[in-house]
Formats: sequence, C-alpha cells, structure tokens
Amino acid sequence: MSKLTRRNFVKLTSSVAAVGLTACAGGPSPSIAGNYKHRVVIIGGGYAGAVAAKYIRMADSSVKVTLIEQSKNYYSCPLSNWVVAGFRDISVQKWGYEGLKGHGVEVVHEKATMVDAVGKKVKTASGNTFKYDQLIVAPGVGFKNLEGYDSAAMEKMPHAWKAGPQTVTLAKQLQAMKNGDPFIMVAPPNPFRCPPGPYERASLVAHYLKKHKPKSKVLILDAKDKFSKFGLFTGGWKQLYGYGTANSMIEWVPGGEGGKVSRVDANSMTVYTEMEEFTSSCINIIPAQKANKIAEDAGLVDGKGWCPVNLKTFESKIHKDVYVIGDSSAAAGLPKSGYAANSEAKVCAAAVVAKLNHKGVPTPSYVNTCYSMLSPDYGISVAAVYKFDAAKPDKVQKVSGGLSPSQAPDFIRKQEALYNESWYQSIMADTFG
Amino acid sequence: MQRAKIHMVVLAGGFLVGGMMFGTSKAEAGATGAMLANTCAGCHGTNGLSGGPAMPTIAGMPAEYLDTIMADFKSGDRPSTIMGRIAKGYDVKETALISKFFASKKWENAMSAPQSQNRTMIDAKKAKKGKKLAKKAKCGKCHEDDGMAQDEDTPRMAGQWVDYLIFKMQDLKNKHLDVPQPKKMAKRIKKLSASELEAIAHFYAAVK
Repeated sequence: MSKLTRRNFVKLTSSVAAVGLTACAGGPSPSIAGNYKHRVVIIGGGYAGAVAAKYIRMADSSVKVTLIEQSKNYYSCPLSNWVVAGFRDISVQKWGYEGLKGHGVEVVHEKATMVDAVGKKVKTASGNTFKYDQLIVAPGVGFKNLEGYDSAAMEKMPHAWKAGPQTVTLAKQLQAMKNGDPFIMVAPPNPFRCPPGPYERASLVAHYLKKHKPKSKVLILDAKDKFSKFGLFTGGWKQLYGYGTANSMIEWVPGGEGGKVSRVDANSMTVYTEMEEFTSSCINIIPAQKANKIAEDAGLVDGKGWCPVNLKTFESKIHKDVYVIGDSSAAAGLPKSGYAANSEAKVCAAAVVAKLNHKGVPTPSYVNTCYSMLSPDYGISVAAVYKFDAAKPDKVQKVSGGLSPSQAPDFIRKQEALYNESWYQSIMADTFG
Repeated sequence: MQRAKIHMVVLAGGFLVGGMMFGTSKAEAGATGAMLANTCAGCHGTNGLSGGPAMPTIAGMPAEYLDTIMADFKSGDRPSTIMGRIAKGYDVKETALISKFFASKKWENAMSAPQSQNRTMIDAKKAKKGKKLAKKAKCGKCHEDDGMAQDEDTPRMAGQWVDYLIFKMQDLKNKHLDVPQPKKMAKRIKKLSASELEAIAHFYAAVK
C-alpha cells in the first residue's frame, strides 16, 4: 500500500467511494483518505479552521476532512471582553466539536508539531502522522518577544488575547484590584488580532470601574498613534467616561507620546516605557504579534512574520497545496477579525473543493462585520464587502462598507449592542453547529 | 393597490442606485450564489437559519421579497444599522443570486435553530393575548395563515425569532426611522402600544 501513488490510489478507491461516510470514522488512517477520494487536513479549529472544515464537507462529502485541534473546547475571543468586565460568564464563550463531527469531520485532539510540505504530511506530538492532499493551516496568532514577558509573567500579567483561562485570570484581577489602582493595558503595534479589541476592552473595563471602583481608571500604553474606530471610540469615551477631562476614566498614551513599552517586570508588577515606569496590581499585556509558531516552523512565513497567500484561494505563496487562513495569513485588505477569518475560510474551502474536483478557481467574495462595545448598552460596528480584482492581486478591494455614524441616538447604539450578541450566536452556530 | 404601488416604486429606486454604483467584473465569471450568500451566514446563520435572536432567519423567504429588501437597504429607503453599508457592495445581479440562494433553503422555526441561547423565551400568555390583538388589528389581511404565508411583499412571521419581531415592530412605530410600510399597516401599528406589539410578536413567533 505504501508505494501507491495518489493517482493510482484515487483509481482504486473510486470504485468503493460509495461506502463513504460511516465506514471510515475511526482514528488516523495509514492511507491518505481511507474510502474517501481525497483528504484535507486542517490545523486549528477556531473561527477560520472549523468553518473551513464544515464548508468543505457541506460542498463535497466525498472529501475526508481531518481537523487537528489540541483543545477539546474552544473559547471565543469575540465577546470575551464582556467576561473581563464581569457581565458575561466564560461558560457561554465555550464551544465543542460535536457539531463538526455531525458534518462528518474527523476531529483529532492532538497538538500538530510538524508540517512536511514536501512529503505532504502533518505530525502530532503524540507521534501520529496525517497525510494530506491539501492542507489548511489556521492556527491563529503567536506573540513576539517582550523583555520580561515569559510564560510565568503571563500568569501574573495576563494577555487574555487568546480567550479561556487567561480571560478569567484578568477578570479576577480586575475584581481584586484596589479602588484607586490603575488598570494598565499595554496595546500592541499593528498588525494584530482584532484591531478594535484593546479599545473595546478599555471601554468595558472603564464601565466596570465607573460602577465598582470609581477612583480607578484605565491607562492604555499604546505602541501606536491611532487605532481602529478611533473617532467612534474617543467620541463614545467623551460621552460615557469623561474622556479628555481631568476626571477621565480612560487615559490613552499614544506611541509618539511615550506609550511604547520596552520591558516588563512581573515580580514588581511594573511596565517600563522609554521615560517612565508604571506599577499596578492589574496589568494587561497584549504583546506584538506574528503568525503562530506552527506556521513559522512549516516555513510558511515571510520576513514580516505573517504567511503570504494568494488572496483568491488562500494558498500559500511559499508551499503548494498548503493554505493559510485566519489571523496567521497576510491577507492584505482584510482585517484580522473573526468575521474575516470566517469569510476567508469559505473562500478557501470553495477553492480547495474546486481544485480537488479539477474545476477552475471560483470567484471569491468576502465580508467583514465587526462589533465593539463601549458599554453593555452601547455598540458600534464596522462592516465591509470586498472583491478580488485580478488587476490588483496583492490586496482585496473594498467595494462598500463603513462605520456606525459618529452621531446617533441612544437606541441605535443599543440596537448595535443587541446585534453584537446575536452576531455572536449566529457566527458560532455557523462555526460549530 | 396601495401595497403593490409602494413595492414597485421602491424597486425602481433600488435598481437605479444599483446600476450606477457597481458593474460586474470584466472578463471573469462572477461569484456564485453560494459564494456570495455564505458571507451572510456570520450574522444570518448557515443557509440563512439565524442562531441569534435579534437577527432574522431568512431561509426559504421568497426571492422577490429578499430582492426588494436588499434594494431598499441599498437605496436607504429602509433604515438599518449595517445592512445599508453591506447591500451597497452588490449589484442587482449579485443580490438576485443571494436572494435565490436563500429562497432555495428550507425554513426552520427559530426555536429549533442550532445553539439558540440567550434569547427571550416565548410566553404563552402573551402569545394568547397577541393572537386576539392581531385579529383585532387585522394583521391577517396580509400576514395570512397566522403569519405562515409569504409573498413578494410579505415576509413570513410564523416561527421567526421573537426578539427580532419585537425590535422590528418597535422600529415600525419609530418616527426617527421612517420604515417603509403600507399606509394601512402604519395606521394600525400606531394604535398599538409597545406591550401590545410585544404580545403580537410572541403570537407570531409561537406559531409552528
């Protein structure tokens, strides 16, 4: 069997393809796809990877899809800032993989450790090998080094930029913080996962402080001089948290004015900028980001630290038959958001299915819809539709979209807050249901 | 007919705007209905079966109705938070493909949608009260068969998310929003209080 080429293998198995679905549910199989015609392996089961798995199966049930995801449960980053601010339980951020299994996806809870793009196989920490015809890599972000910020420091100064235990740690620290202490947030340079995320978090923490610790404030030490939804955030902060006044609940220090943090010390709970040092019992470090380690190790990353891809298919520009979707990809034009990851996954799924069936590359279409909260009753959004233009293949082109209006009555802000929660329910159902 | 007239005017407006904004791409074939419509699923759920109480399920709705709604969002005739921004990204051909895609999918009542949590539960008492109110307000003249019926002007209401129905009925009354609606319906809605409209929403949401 081992000498079988893929072409022969397809010929052999096409006669038994009808056996299909149930016959082959078991663990990793020594052949490429058992009774299936093709096998797609996906690394990472989040907003990107889980959707790709489901939509490949929905489009072509003759494809065997194996999802390699270390964790048995997934915690959603979107809406996790609500948990930090204490008005949402972490349990409703938690999702499992039963729904994907229902679509016939083989889910393997192991850690992928090695991609052999030449031999077309993935190895896991438990020593299993998974051969593939097409591989989709969707591992999310990795963090760049920050002096003093090692794994022990992460426990004391949580990033909470991958939802789960870190989210809970930060929420607990905020609750335990003394009235009068600052909530210090270190915000990352571009590009990073969820561009408005740090500022939503700052808003919701300010909302919590206003209620429970009115002598405290949020201090954002930022590497940047501007951020996503800037006008909407700062406008809302003025309205809700006295931004710009002496009593503001939020203080934002841009990079150009000394906001850049060069090192941290978890023992003394101190962060250092070029000129100053800041201490608190509650410090949230959101480090600079890059593609996840597995993508780096697979050689999928360019000099900038992200994975260059063909934007029409999300196939890597470095390795053939390997695709990168979600936050690790360098998808110029698209933000590193959950919705964009969902959209990328569907474009990629369609491209992979077309390729396996020897059809032409489908014309893609992409959407992003991203809500942020400034308080539990105050939502804002950005939305856009994008197209691929063959004349400008290095960036997807925005064809429509925009932000919430800068001035809007309270009921509109409230409606957007309600839509945010429903957005979450629908996109999670689309991902895991 | 009053309703048909409104519909036609709105449609013509929509086409005009659509035609001016974007042409289809040159040599390449456009995106398929599935490719375009799958981008909607992040909010409206897989195949248009919404998982969130404030987002409507659109699976199985008539293509003509969905076309009208998209054209109205695009022209701004129908107020929205984000749908106007999104609808402008598609030309008439593309919205027609999207509408067709969702029209071809099977409706499922909201309560049986996957992962439906954090929602308002249907209140049998309110639903009972709502049934009487709906009869009195003659909602059934257009929303026939207890809201099960649908056509190019009329969305299905039976089995829709109760939260969504409540919001939309409130919107119909909201002077700031000026939602397009038949004159007779506007008159009837005006006479109903917020709690009465809520009861009517419970009634329609509860119909199976």
